[in-house]
Amino acid sequence: MNWELIGLSFITVFLAEMGDKSQLAAIALGGCSKSPRAVFFGSVTALILASFLGVLIGGQMAAFLPAQALKAIAAIGFAILGVRLLWGQFGSSNN
Amino acid sequence: MKSSASPSSLPAISVTQTDDRVQTTTDSVAESDTDPCEEQTANIWNWGALGVFGSTFSTIFLAEMGDKTQLATLLMSAESQSPWTVFAGASAALIATSLIGILVGRWLAKFLTPKTLNVSAGILLLCISVALFWEILNS
Repeated sequence: MNWELIGLSFITVFLAEMGDKSQLAAIALGGCSKSPRAVFFGSVTALILASFLGVLIGGQMAAFLPAQALKAIAAIGFAILGVRLLWGQFGSSNN
Repeated sequence: MKSSASPSSLPAISVTQTDDRVQTTTDSVAESDTDPCEEQTANIWNWGALGVFGSTFSTIFLAEMGDKTQLATLLMSAESQSPWTVFAGASAALIATSLIGILVGRWLAKFLTPKTLNVSAGILLLCISVALFWEILNS
């Protein structure tokens, strides 16, 4: 096992992900959810699967992937989660 | 042929669509009722937790596809010729950042009321959504 390479990839990815949108999403979802464990496992599975596919597909990624379309779907998904949280606060207080 | 068939099939489609819509709205109402973190249920592995897992997984997965972390991972694995070592390092880093994220969220939850927490979390998620759209437009 090449520990130098493991350390290098760990530090690179760690620094890239600190304060990034996935981590902010984990903070938001983990803080307000009653099942933070599910948020943790969901986040970890998604991130590891994404990097697994990155390693697996390698250089052909751009040819395979409509990254813009996937990002747009993700943006809509985050918007729905956000609106649902806000709706739970302001929507239910009106009833 | 097609035009003669469509008038008779249209009402049936619209009826099932409204049925679906009613179904989904009642579902989402039931979900949002159980969503706020006011009450801790004894059983963590219920459908609520599965829904939380699913929505977290799908949004983060789609947002990360083609993102800079994934590109860095595939670049490093291509350069180093040992992709699985890079994958191991990257996975450990992703577990660490997720864990830190959740812990920060739980830590903040101690100081804020559930309402403040949910409102700021909702606004934060909307900001992430806007940032993603911004990335799409600027690339």
